[in-house]
Amino acid sequence: MAGLLAIHAFDDLWDVTNYVRYGAISLRHRGEDSVVVCLPKEGVKCLTFEEPDEIDVRLGSYVAVVGTYNDVRVDEDYIARGSSGGVEVVVLADRPYEELKPLANAVAEAVHLSSLNALESGLRKVFTEFSNAPTLLTLSSRGDVIAWRCGSGLTPLVLGSYGFDLAIVASEHATAEVLGAEVKRGLPPGEGVIISKNLFKTFKTSFSGSPALCAFELLYLARPDSIVDGVSVYEFRKRVGAEVGKAFKNEVDVVVGVPETALPYALGFSQSVGKPVELALIPTGSRSRSMLKVDPMEKVVAIHMKMNPVKKVLEGRKVALVDDSMVVGSTMKAAVQLLRSEVGVDEIHLVVASPPIVSTCPYKLFNLNMERLLAANLTKDLAVKYLDVDSLNWVDAGVLSSVVRNYNIKLCGKCFKECFFG
Amino acid sequence: MKVLLIGSGGREHAIAEMMRRSASEELKLYVAMDYLNPGLRKVAEASNGATFITETTNAGKILSLAEKLSPDLIVVGPEEPQFAGVPDVLREEGYTVFGSDSKCSEIERSKVYARSIMWKHSIPGRLFFKAFKSVEEAREFMEFAGDVVLKPARQVGGKGVKVLKDSKAYLSDSVSEVKKSYVDILYKEMLGHDDVDYKVLVEQRVEGVEYTVQVITDGSTALPLPAIQDHPHAYEYDVGPETGGMGSVMGPGLTLPFLTYEEYRRSVDIVKEVVDALGREGCSSYRGVLAGQMMLTGVWGPTVIEFYSRFGDPEISNLVPALRSDFLNVLDKAAEGRLANAKLEIAEDLVTIVKAVAPVGYPNDKRLAAGHPIRIDEAAILSEGCIPLYASVELSSDGTLYTRGSRAVEIVCSGSDYREAYLKSEKAVEHVKALDGWPLFHRSDIGSAELLNYRVKVAEKVRRVYTSRAKRGMLGKTLLWIPGEGVLSNPLISDVKVGRS
Repeated sequence: MAGLLAIHAFDDLWDVTNYVRYGAISLRHRGEDSVVVCLPKEGVKCLTFEEPDEIDVRLGSYVAVVGTYNDVRVDEDYIARGSSGGVEVVVLADRPYEELKPLANAVAEAVHLSSLNALESGLRKVFTEFSNAPTLLTLSSRGDVIAWRCGSGLTPLVLGSYGFDLAIVASEHATAEVLGAEVKRGLPPGEGVIISKNLFKTFKTSFSGSPALCAFELLYLARPDSIVDGVSVYEFRKRVGAEVGKAFKNEVDVVVGVPETALPYALGFSQSVGKPVELALIPTGSRSRSMLKVDPMEKVVAIHMKMNPVKKVLEGRKVALVDDSMVVGSTMKAAVQLLRSEVGVDEIHLVVASPPIVSTCPYKLFNLNMERLLAANLTKDLAVKYLDVDSLNWVDAGVLSSVVRNYNIKLCGKCFKECFFG
Repeated sequence: MKVLLIGSGGREHAIAEMMRRSASEELKLYVAMDYLNPGLRKVAEASNGATFITETTNAGKILSLAEKLSPDLIVVGPEEPQFAGVPDVLREEGYTVFGSDSKCSEIERSKVYARSIMWKHSIPGRLFFKAFKSVEEAREFMEFAGDVVLKPARQVGGKGVKVLKDSKAYLSDSVSEVKKSYVDILYKEMLGHDDVDYKVLVEQRVEGVEYTVQVITDGSTALPLPAIQDHPHAYEYDVGPETGGMGSVMGPGLTLPFLTYEEYRRSVDIVKEVVDALGREGCSSYRGVLAGQMMLTGVWGPTVIEFYSRFGDPEISNLVPALRSDFLNVLDKAAEGRLANAKLEIAEDLVTIVKAVAPVGYPNDKRLAAGHPIRIDEAAILSEGCIPLYASVELSSDGTLYTRGSRAVEIVCSGSDYREAYLKSEKAVEHVKALDGWPLFHRSDIGSAELLNYRVKVAEKVRRVYTSRAKRGMLGKTLLWIPGEGVLSNPLISDVKVGRS
């Protein structure tokens, strides 16, 4: 999973450096380890940064495409170059795709061979041929940006603009807003857009399957201030929390969301069960998505940095601990240890705001290892004992489907062994 | 009636079409134009008139043409002949002219004058502004200008506005850089126009939905036209550079789906107040059109973005299928100062959508966009129930139409609702093709339910803001506290002086 951003100024008075930098910061939660910035210089030049803050030299370009990735070295399945007749193209994908290099060559050929008039149909042909390609951005050496949301619709792209000057395409609604732009629309699955000096054109490609957004986009990944496919992420999470609260049978005194990304669920849950949310675990340093960490030690460091307890609000209480997802269970294990041994809570009822994750992602959006998935390997009884909690409560797949149906969308649920929610 | 129409574009073609339908008078149309517009030629020839290729801003040439033709009425379409004093010279010679003279058209020519008039006469919907004569002073101001719009102080073909929202401190440096570079460019662009002292205008930036309100006036009576919405962005979803307008929507009735009748009425009042104010400022009788390019904003409700001293283009085209009154008669009465008893009737339940088709390259690289052979299948467009109005296309001697670099044609479609008019318009634009394969573009979102719903939402948001501000007596006010200096009402931190450019 990666964060994508393209900025294109119609007037070359602009230098997009600050837009790249702050846009990358806003997409950090989708890719924490590297930022790749591509510019139409010397063909197409790509620069890699470990932190968005390192982007402090003037890029000197009116256009850039950017990817934030969960890997220090991003391989050819994520970023590929193609060329045709002197036109160079770089493709940034938001998940690994084995055919990315041939796709890049095909895009370069379409850009090189098609007249402006035929570019749209040329690209339609390319994306029909590579119909399983992920959501991606491409930049050509001539400065043309092509953005395309995959036909399966797994990951989103949003189109925004600023005055008469900038067009912005980003993985998240919130990114366009952070960049002072107005969000115009989310691209529907299979829709692409060509943005260049004298051309702006959307195009549609067909997809044989039934499109569905990755459930994790709404459950975990997107910023709560984003709107994805017309759904307010914040509102969605509160609703799911509220539904879980309705089915919850135990008595608790306080509700705690951990990490802070679980707060919308905790608020919805709290309103349903009629018990207050307390800010009981305080993070140190900047936010980090521990679930996306690959290295186990880094993961533990990220988890431990997330929580220092406010003992006063927890000691001797019955706690509903709300998490936004549980993959390996290590975050919750650490939290429970802390609450038991350092704080001395009375009871811990773990509430996970997703159904149990029991399968890897067939689309490689997430790097899930079957052996390490808690729900796939431990029975519920064993999980309760291992996690040292009084009860373990997942979101029921049927309940999630009923929430999703309210929004008139479909979510992919393959990693929950469900075809779709909604 | 013998009429001499001055102008070459889509606006003039729309005017000619509407005059042609006069029930009271038989039109004999002569057109003075800068290039051979086939639409205008067709109307002129069908009326036993003629067309003349000339320099429409040259008062001497137009006068000698008038002397030759002895027209009963002269209609001056575009702003440049007005700025150049063509109507002044013709009126001095005793001709009956529809079109504001050089004095009255200063409201469009000088944006500083337009803003100053509004402040001097306390007309609602006025925005704070600051004008600059020297480039150094302007550049210096840009460093801390904040959330502003930059404009050339003189109308230069509807172009040159930069809307530079500056609401994120972390991006402010980048926006400031653009402001400074743009000031340099505007000064360069203004070099050729010595008719204004002020070169660059900085205005408070506002957000909301835009629309145009036009009145036909003889200086004392003003007949309002319906509110019409133009679409200045080149590309779909309001993305991309500013153009002269890629299309416009009108109806049903006098207002638009996102505008209340009360807001429309207040907008008309503003435009009428400006006509009156101009009368007190030396525009002795405004005989022509005053158009207010308005925006519904949280600051004021109806707010003035700028004025045109002529019919909006493409806005005037929306009227073509909807006008029920005798247009020629109304223009003639306005020109003679007898508008008091005139009426302007508009079809009540009709929706009209205008879509411009332009060659790729427009608006930023007109050289790229010009010189392409193009076919406008008039019969096919008419059979879709739409009307083609020829704009930036020229008929060459071999009978081929060539693009001139701007919007080539405006297609006007109507229906009993937006859906009907929209479907027609999308079919009709397909009948325009470049013969050399050069790509053409239009905005398929204009008139769509998706875009109209979006406008309604934006309007609702700003309506909540301005209604709340009105209750608290805060309309038009933007307070700023500078510790040690006090609370100022002007976000641009400058005294508002009624100056003349």
